[in-house]
Amino acid sequence: MALFSIRDLTFTYPLKDIPAIKGVNLTVEYGEFITVCGKTGCGKSTLLRNLKTALTPHGAVTGEIYFDGRLLSEIDLREQTQRIGYVLQNPENQIVTDKVWHELAFGLESLGYDTQSIRLRVAEMASFFGIQDWFMKDVSELSGGQKQLLNLAAVMAMQPDLLILDEPSSQLDPIAASNFLETVKKINSEIGTTIIITEHRLEEVLPMSDRAVVLDSGRVILDSAPKNVGEELLKLNHDMFLAMPGPMQIYAGLIKAQKEMGIDINPNADQNVDPNIDPIIDPNKAAGMSCPITVREGRKWLTEVFHAREIRCRDLDIAKKTENETIIELRNVWFKYSRNHSDAIKGLSLNISAGQMHCIVGGNGTGKTTALALIGGIHKPYRGKVKLMGRELSKYTKEELYNGIFGILPQNPQSLFVEKTVGLDLFEVLEKKTLSIEEKEAKVKAAAKLMEIDDLLKMHPYDLSGGEQQRAALGKVLLLKPKIILLDEPTKGLDNHFKIKLAGILNKLLENGITVVMVSHDIEFCAKYGDQCSMFFDGNIITTNTPNRFFSGNSFYTTAANRMSRHKFSNAVTAKDVIDICIQNLKTQES
Amino acid sequence: MKSIFAAYHPAVNFTFFCAVIIGSMFFMHPVLLCISWSAAFLYSIYLNGRKALRFNIVFVLPTMIIISLINPLFNHRGMTILGYIRDNPITLESIYYGICTGLMFGAIILWFSCYNAIMTSDKIICLFGRIVPAMSLIFSMVLRFVPKFKTQIITISNAQKCIGRDVSNGSYKERIRHGIKILSIMVSWALENAIETADSMKSRGYGLKGRTSFSIFRFYARDKGLLMIMTVFITVISIGAAAGVTNIQYFPSIKIGEITGFGIFVYTAYFLLCFIPVILDVMEEIKWHYFRSGI
Amino acid sequence: MHTESENTGKLNKRTITSAVIILIFIPSTILFGVFFLDDRKYFIVSLMIICYAMIPFFLVFERRKPQAREMIIIAVLIAIAVAGRAAFFMVPQFKPVIAIVIITAVCFGAEAGFLTGAMAGFVSNFFFGQGPWTPWQMFCFGIIGFLAGVLSQKGFLKRSRKQLCFFGGLTTFLIYGGIVDLWTIFMVTPEPKMETAIIVYGTALWFNIIHSSATVIFLYILANPMIEKLERIKVKYGLIEKLPK
Repeated sequence: MALFSIRDLTFTYPLKDIPAIKGVNLTVEYGEFITVCGKTGCGKSTLLRNLKTALTPHGAVTGEIYFDGRLLSEIDLREQTQRIGYVLQNPENQIVTDKVWHELAFGLESLGYDTQSIRLRVAEMASFFGIQDWFMKDVSELSGGQKQLLNLAAVMAMQPDLLILDEPSSQLDPIAASNFLETVKKINSEIGTTIIITEHRLEEVLPMSDRAVVLDSGRVILDSAPKNVGEELLKLNHDMFLAMPGPMQIYAGLIKAQKEMGIDINPNADQNVDPNIDPIIDPNKAAGMSCPITVREGRKWLTEVFHAREIRCRDLDIAKKTENETIIELRNVWFKYSRNHSDAIKGLSLNISAGQMHCIVGGNGTGKTTALALIGGIHKPYRGKVKLMGRELSKYTKEELYNGIFGILPQNPQSLFVEKTVGLDLFEVLEKKTLSIEEKEAKVKAAAKLMEIDDLLKMHPYDLSGGEQQRAALGKVLLLKPKIILLDEPTKGLDNHFKIKLAGILNKLLENGITVVMVSHDIEFCAKYGDQCSMFFDGNIITTNTPNRFFSGNSFYTTAANRMSRHKFSNAVTAKDVIDICIQNLKTQES
Repeated sequence: MKSIFAAYHPAVNFTFFCAVIIGSMFFMHPVLLCISWSAAFLYSIYLNGRKALRFNIVFVLPTMIIISLINPLFNHRGMTILGYIRDNPITLESIYYGICTGLMFGAIILWFSCYNAIMTSDKIICLFGRIVPAMSLIFSMVLRFVPKFKTQIITISNAQKCIGRDVSNGSYKERIRHGIKILSIMVSWALENAIETADSMKSRGYGLKGRTSFSIFRFYARDKGLLMIMTVFITVISIGAAAGVTNIQYFPSIKIGEITGFGIFVYTAYFLLCFIPVILDVMEEIKWHYFRSGI
Repeated sequence: MHTESENTGKLNKRTITSAVIILIFIPSTILFGVFFLDDRKYFIVSLMIICYAMIPFFLVFERRKPQAREMIIIAVLIAIAVAGRAAFFMVPQFKPVIAIVIITAVCFGAEAGFLTGAMAGFVSNFFFGQGPWTPWQMFCFGIIGFLAGVLSQKGFLKRSRKQLCFFGGLTTFLIYGGIVDLWTIFMVTPEPKMETAIIVYGTALWFNIIHSSATVIFLYILANPMIEKLERIKVKYGLIEKLPK
C-alpha cells in the first residue's frame, strides 16, 4: 500500500476561476525521496499544502487524497500532526519560541507528551542533528542555516513517517543549503522517512531523489526517475529544462545541435573505439548516451564524447568588453563596526568601471555586504579612501548620494514596502519631489514597464511572489534615477525564470549606462551575466577578473559547467560556453 | 559571576524572591530592614559585579536618601517635634520613618535587580507554563519576536537611508516622521510574516487537546532540601510576625517591642533566609577550594 | 478577541471571576490591610488589588483556548509595542506602546487590547528591569486597551483620527500618568496626602505631557495605516470567518 495516493486532485482558490492544481494523480511509496519541481506559481506549494489538513488553504477541492490507505480528511489532526512533518520556506518565520530546546519540544507539547518522554526525544534529536552545542541558546543567536536545521529537528522530534519540505533551502547560502540537504538525505536513508521536497536549485537535490515530478500550470507533466525526466523535458522542449542542473543543460544543448546542425556527438560512432573498455563496467558508454545529472557524470560523459576526437580548440574566444573609466575607486580601505570588534574590511582596494556589472562573490561573513555598504556610503571607513567619480565620497551630501547617484536594493525587498498597493508604493518614493501628478504618473508607469510589473500595480506588495516583490522594490529604487545600483543577494530565493528576467532587466539598465554592483553567493548567475567578478575573502578582495578568467582560475569555487569541462577546455564557464566550444570542436572534426 | 543559586530549580528561586520581597514590603522593623537590605546589596554585587556597584551607588543610594528626606518634609505626624520649617513641624518619628522607608525602597529595588539576573525567561515560562499556558507561550513568542523586530528595524532604517530618508539627522519632526514610517513598514512585515509562524504552530499541532508544558529544569534532591529549609524559615518568621516581634509603630510615637529571646530567634531565621544565596555561594567557594587542594 | 464572543458565555465567566474577586478578595484584602498592616497598608493593599484586577482577563483568555492565529497576532503586536521604541532611538522618550495598544483594541476588541497592554508592560520591564512598578504599568497599559476596546465596541469611540488622538492623549495623561505614580506615593509615605501627591505628580508632569503628546502624534500618523494593515491581516488570517460564535 502506498503512503500517499492522490487521485484526480483539483484545487481552486476562492475568487479564482482557474484552478491552482488540476487533476493531479500521484503515488508516494514508503521511504521514497521525491522532488517536485516547476516554475514559481505552478502549484507546487498548493499541492504540498493539500497534503496536510492543518495547512490546506481555503478553497474548493475535488478528488481524493489517501494517506496510508485512508482518506486524509478523515484522519484526525492529532495523527496528521504526528505522522506528517512539514518544513516551510523561511527559516526565521517558522520558529515560535525563544529558546532552542523549547522549539524542539513544541510539537511534542502539543501532542501532550509528558516531560520524561519529551526530554528523551529532544535529547535524541539534539544528538542526531548535532545541535547539542547550541541547545540552550536563544534562537536569535543562530545563523540562518542553524535555524532551518532547528526547524527540521523540531519536526523530526515528532517522528513523522513523511517529511514535506517546501523550498527549505532557498533562503540559505550555498554551504548551509547543501548541509541542510545532506541532513535531509541522511534522514531518508538512515531513518527511512519518506521525503517530498520542492526546490529551485536542483543541482543537489536531483541526484538524491528517487523520482522527480514536474508540474506546469497545475498539472503533473512528468513523473519519473530524474534521468528520464531530463530526457523527457528535452523531448518536450519544455522551458523547465533551464532549471535543470548544468550538466543536463549542456547535454541538451549538444543533442539539439546534433539534431539541428547534424553534428555527431555519439561517442560510440567513432571507429577507433578502444576495444578494452568493458560495456558492463561502463554502462554509460554501453548505453550509448544517457543524460548526466551530476558533475561527475557530466565529466565522464564529456570524456566519452571527446574520447577519440582531437580537441583542437581549448580556449573560447571571448569578446572583450571595452574598458570604461572608473566610477568607483576604493583605496586601502579599513573598516570595523566598533572599536572592540575586529576589522571587517582589511585594506580593500577595488576599481569599478562605469556601465559594467561588477559581481562580488565569496563565502558568508567575509565582509562582502560590508564592502557594499562602504561603497554606498552607509558605513564610513576609518582608514583609506572611497572615491566616487573622482571625488571623495564623504564630500557628497546625503541628498546627492541617495537621490541621483546610488540606488541600493536591500537584500530583503520587503523592507521597502509601506503602502497597500504596489502602485502607491512607487508613488511614495516621489512624495518629496516637486513634480506634477501627471509627471509622477508618467515616471511610475515607465518604471513599472521597465520592471515588467505593469499588471501588478493594484496588488498588495505582500501578495506578490519573491521575484515580483524584488522587481517592485527595484522599481522603487530606480525612480530616484540612480547612476549606480547596488544589489545585495538579488537572486536569493528566485527560481531560474525569475533570474533570467532579472538579468534581462539588469541588462537594460546597463545599456542605459547604469553601473551595477552586486554581492552574491550565486556564482552561476555571476558567471553568466557579470562583466567583472571579484572574490572576497577575509575582508579583502583576493582576485578580480572577467568571469571567464575568474572562474576558470578557480577549481572549487566555480560553476558546474566549468568543473565538468575543465579537463578538456580551459575557459568554458557557463553551460552556453561549454556547448559553444564543443560544437566548435565537433565541427572541426568533421571538416 | 554566576551564582550557584541560579542553578536551582525555578520554583526554589521564585519562592525565595517572593519571600524576601514580600518580607521587605511588610516588615518596617529596622533590624529586619537592615538584614534584608544588606543581603540584597551583597548579593546584587556578587551577581552583577562592578555594574551593580555603580547602579547601587549612582541610583539606589541617592534615591534612598531622597526618600528619607522627603518624608519628614511632608509627613508631620509624630510627637517629638525637633523644629519647624516654614511653620511645618519636623518630627523625630517621621525622620526615622523616612530612613526606614528609604531602606525598604532600597531593599526592594536591590532584590528586584537580583531577581532580574536570576529569573531568566525560561524560568518564568517553566513556572507559569502550567498555570497560564497560553500567556506563557505568548511571552515566549514575544521574546522571540522582540530581537527579531529590532534587527528588522535596523535593516529597514538602513534601507530607508538608501532612498534618502535618514533617521539620524534632520529636524525633530523629520526624525519622528521617518521613525513612524519605519515602524509602519515593520508592522506590515511583522504581521505578514507571522502568517507563516501561525502555520508552523498549527502544523506542529498547536490547538490539539491536552497540550503539556515541557520544562528543561529538573527538581533535584537539593532543590527539595533548600525548599524545605526555606519553608521552615518562613514559618518561623510568620509565627514571629503573628506574635508581634516584628512589629514597630512609628506614629504618633515610636513603639518597638522589647528584644526577647524569641525575637532574636526570628531575626536569625530572617537573616538566614535573606542570606541563603550568599551562604550557598560562599559554601561553594570553600568546597571548590578544598576540592582543588585535595587533588 | 471579538465582539460576538463577548456576548455569550465568555463574558459571564469573566463577570463571575470578577465578581468573586471584587466581592470577596478585594474586601478581605482591605480588611486585612486595615487590621494587620499598620503603615504599609496603602502600598501593599493597592498592589494586591492591582494584581487581582488583572487575573480575570488572563483566566478567561486561558480558559477559552485561543487559536494559533490569535496568539500570533497578540504576540506580534506586543513585540511591536516593545521593539517599536528601537525605531525612535534618535528621539528618546518617544514610546509607541499606548498608541499600539489602542489601535489593537480598536481592531481586535477589549480582551486583545487588555492582554496586549498588560503583556507589553511585562515584557518591556523584562528588558529594562522588573520592579514594584511592573504590576502598575501592566495594569495601566492593559486597562487603557480594555477601555478603548469596550468604547469602540459600544460605538463611543469611532475609528476617526481625531477621536483616537483625543482618547489616546487623555487616557495616557489621566490613566497612565495618574495611576502609575500612585505607587510612588504609597511607597514613600505612610498615608497618601495632598502635598505628596502634588510633589509626585508635579515632578512627573513634564514626563506625562511628553508621553501623552507622543501617543497623540503616533495615533495621528499611525492609526489609519495601521488599522488598514490590521484589517487586511484579519481577512488574510481568516479571523473574520472563523469567529467562535
